[in-house]
Amino acid sequence: MSKRVLAVDDDPDIIMFVKTVLEENGYIPLIARNGETGLSIARDEGPDLIILDVLMPKQSGIRMYRELKSDETLKGVPVIILSGIARRTFLRSQEALTEFGDQPVPEPELYMEKPVEPAELAEAVKDLIDRS
Amino acid sequence: MKNKKLLFVTQFEELWFDALRSLMDLRKTGFNHVVFLHVIERDKVAMHRGKGYLKDEEIKLREMANVRFIDWAESLFEQGMEVGAYIVVGNPLPKIISTAAEEDVDLIVTGRHKRGKFEELYGGSETLEILERTSTPVLVYKYMLPSGKVNEKPFERPLLTMDWSPASEKAADYLLSFKDILKKVIVIHVIGEKEFKSTSAMEIQAIRKENRQKLERVCSAFEKEGIEAEPHLYVGGTFEQIEKAASEREASMIVAGTTGKSPLKEIFLGSVAKKLTKHSMLPSLLVPASVKL
Repeated sequence: MSKRVLAVDDDPDIIMFVKTVLEENGYIPLIARNGETGLSIARDEGPDLIILDVLMPKQSGIRMYRELKSDETLKGVPVIILSGIARRTFLRSQEALTEFGDQPVPEPELYMEKPVEPAELAEAVKDLIDRS
Repeated sequence: MKNKKLLFVTQFEELWFDALRSLMDLRKTGFNHVVFLHVIERDKVAMHRGKGYLKDEEIKLREMANVRFIDWAESLFEQGMEVGAYIVVGNPLPKIISTAAEEDVDLIVTGRHKRGKFEELYGGSETLEILERTSTPVLVYKYMLPSGKVNEKPFERPLLTMDWSPASEKAADYLLSFKDILKKVIVIHVIGEKEFKSTSAMEIQAIRKENRQKLERVCSAFEKEGIEAEPHLYVGGTFEQIEKAASEREASMIVAGTTGKSPLKEIFLGSVAKKLTKHSMLPSLLVPASVKL
């Protein structure tokens, strides 16, 4: 059975790019345009992998990632952060939220800064799904 | 009341990151989420004869805004803040209103847009229309220092102008929700010259006494929260006296309630809110009477 990958990004061009890569490699894409909807789909559908942007309306990828990794049923789902926001910023922001009293969360399984090549993304998705 | 989310509207001509940074004191009052909005005005990418819709221009403008927002967002994320961004094509006013509703923001921050001579006639009406169509307060930000820099602490010494309308009472209550960053509040009421129509000195003194007592009541509410407050009465044209008071008392911002009259009425009546938006050198925090406290 095909694995399902949730892509969360507000940029329609990126969504189209990720969707195409996923479909061409035999995965079923699930799409969300912000962290709030993304989290809701993740809870309802239980995807095998999540590709997550950071800077988005409604709820950022930083908060959505934190919610995912604090959720007993979702924390094992591998996450690829695919964003224009630097990895260093992502990690610092998570540290800052932990300092403010939230629970610490692990680093994402993979961090990719935009833009990425289709083959690079396809390989990363395959690698993480095979490992999980 | 909930004070969490701020909508920062920028066309990059009038509001930059230093303006946003000067508002970071708002974190002490509960704000922890900034939503950026940049509207690419439709006529910049609209259909042009022989060229059609300028898709390449739209992409260029979007990416330019995106580069700036990513840079700003990184600074805020690293402080543990939540950040979102919208880059949209359209007319600014409806986009500001729809984004404020979509994100359910608690404060809208805009700059004063530079306008041509024709549009100048309506300057300030845009802000008033936002206030009429939402119950969200609007902070009209200004670069008022001669150096071109922003005041680093706009909420430190606000001047609260009271006309004893329900809207101004709401503005006073709203300002109190920023108690953690207020140092001193200057509370003023402007008595119009027509109120001096009586020739009786006793009656004039009674007007002065009544207004003074009302000012002291407002000041007491701030003092109870440990904020220094001073009452002042001014006489004359409302907008001119507010400006005079702000200058004399070294205010960092002007706070006023707005009644939510239609913009057309405002143009003809020349409301104080409109004049503050258009002419004041100081940032103006305009609070609609319908604000939820």
